[in-house]
Amino acid sequence: MDKLAQLFTDIGYLWGKYAATYLNGVRNTLILAFIGTLLGCVIGFICGVLNTIPYSKSDPPLKRFFLGFIRVIIRVYVEVFRGTPMVLQAVAIYYALPYFTNGGARFESVWMASIIVVSINTGAYMAESVRGGIISIDPGQTEGAMAIGMNHIQTMTSVILPQALRNIMPQIGNNFIINIKDTSVMFMISFTDFFAVHRGVVGATYAYFPSAVIEMAGYLTMTLISSLLLRAVEKRLDGKSSYELVEQDQLVMTAGTYSYPSRGTPFDERSKEFAEEAEKQSSRGGD
Amino acid sequence: MGENILKINHLSKSFGSQAVLKDIDFEVSKGDVTSVIGPSGSGKSTLLRCINLLETPTSGEILYHGKNVLKGGIRPTKYRTHVGMVFQSFNLFNNMTVLENCMAGQIKVLKRSKQEAREHAMMYLEKVGMAPYINARPRQISGGQKQRVAIARALAMDPEVILFDEPTSALDPEMVGEVLNVMRTLAEDSVTMLVVTHEMAFAKDVSNKVVFMYDGIIREEGSPEELFMNPKRHETQDFLARFRNK
Repeated sequence: MDKLAQLFTDIGYLWGKYAATYLNGVRNTLILAFIGTLLGCVIGFICGVLNTIPYSKSDPPLKRFFLGFIRVIIRVYVEVFRGTPMVLQAVAIYYALPYFTNGGARFESVWMASIIVVSINTGAYMAESVRGGIISIDPGQTEGAMAIGMNHIQTMTSVILPQALRNIMPQIGNNFIINIKDTSVMFMISFTDFFAVHRGVVGATYAYFPSAVIEMAGYLTMTLISSLLLRAVEKRLDGKSSYELVEQDQLVMTAGTYSYPSRGTPFDERSKEFAEEAEKQSSRGGD
Repeated sequence: MGENILKINHLSKSFGSQAVLKDIDFEVSKGDVTSVIGPSGSGKSTLLRCINLLETPTSGEILYHGKNVLKGGIRPTKYRTHVGMVFQSFNLFNNMTVLENCMAGQIKVLKRSKQEAREHAMMYLEKVGMAPYINARPRQISGGQKQRVAIARALAMDPEVILFDEPTSALDPEMVGEVLNVMRTLAEDSVTMLVVTHEMAFAKDVSNKVVFMYDGIIREEGSPEELFMNPKRHETQDFLARFRNK
């Protein structure tokens, strides 16, 4: 019991002294995870679209070669970045630039390098998720779009990807939450995320366990809130579960086929008729 | 008989070693309502899908106003705007409302303004009796209603001919009528249609030309009177006899 009280005291002490540092770490972690996931999704969607451009034997050889080439490139990209640890990718990318330029060029900011690494890594996973999402859409949707003359890009952007996006939303959420935790490896290139703060704090105080408790609570809070938000986004993407019948035709005048004259407007034929009728009646009554 | 829209010469299609269409010759003229009938697996749907280039024919030519579609006489996407298609499984876009379904093609492909596309879509949605449901999503309406929206979507592109691939086969019996009625109205408005169907009454009463397919070839064609009252081939007789007995 004493020890537990001691723990709370230690946590209180650490928090009192380093709260701003911790919170700064939280902020950096969230920003990096969010931007990384977002750009990763963009990369994934681009790969998914390029990967599914249809070609048949009757197409010209150059086109077939080109499309085949794109698919090979994407394949290699996915396998390399999915198959190596992100911590090594970070190190490799961060130090490759000065290595090849003999120190002439280096990443200006560690932010830039971190965002690139996380985006590329997430993109490799997302490429596969997006491919799965596209495959999961009924081929009839593509045929329906093609039958009204849409090309591949139009079909993808207006019909397939919006539906695929909904289907892979849980995957995107997964990646975001993984990124919140895994961006901790960016301390290797001295990015000050939430975990890097822990390393800094224990370096100064040796309070390994209390700081770890703060860190775990912090990560858990971030991921739980993210889960909640992601659920809400999914719900929104599902659209309304009910719809309203349009009893009164909204477009009666524009469509030129009105069945319900808009009462009380200058276009209201019916009330005009009544008005004239009423006028006649009253003038007759006056006679 | 009006101007010739589609002319199909020696069209063949095989999937691997399986020949599904064998040397089909066939034409569609303006105002024609052609019914394609025949047993399952006789290649009716494949013929339609070949005409709309959803399948690539193995050989032969498809002439659209004299231009060979298979030899790049016209871009496939452009060609498809002139040759509409209604599917057995509706294929409405699930991520859009009824109205958006009918507007998407007009805006993206025909580059019409939103306002114009809307008016146009509404005109056809009213024609098929779906105007009250413009805010509904495909999953919220019945099969018959979906098919009527699909017809409005095809019409909204102002095609010269609409291909119907068994439009009522996936429907519950009580919904078949509403779709056939819509198609009947279109026929009265002299919309050119090519209909693969198992509805013999529709083929007989509405169309002015009937094509009987059997085993990948056109076995017999003619006016509904000729074909239904006085079929010449014994395959046709057998096929029709099965329907009469029902």
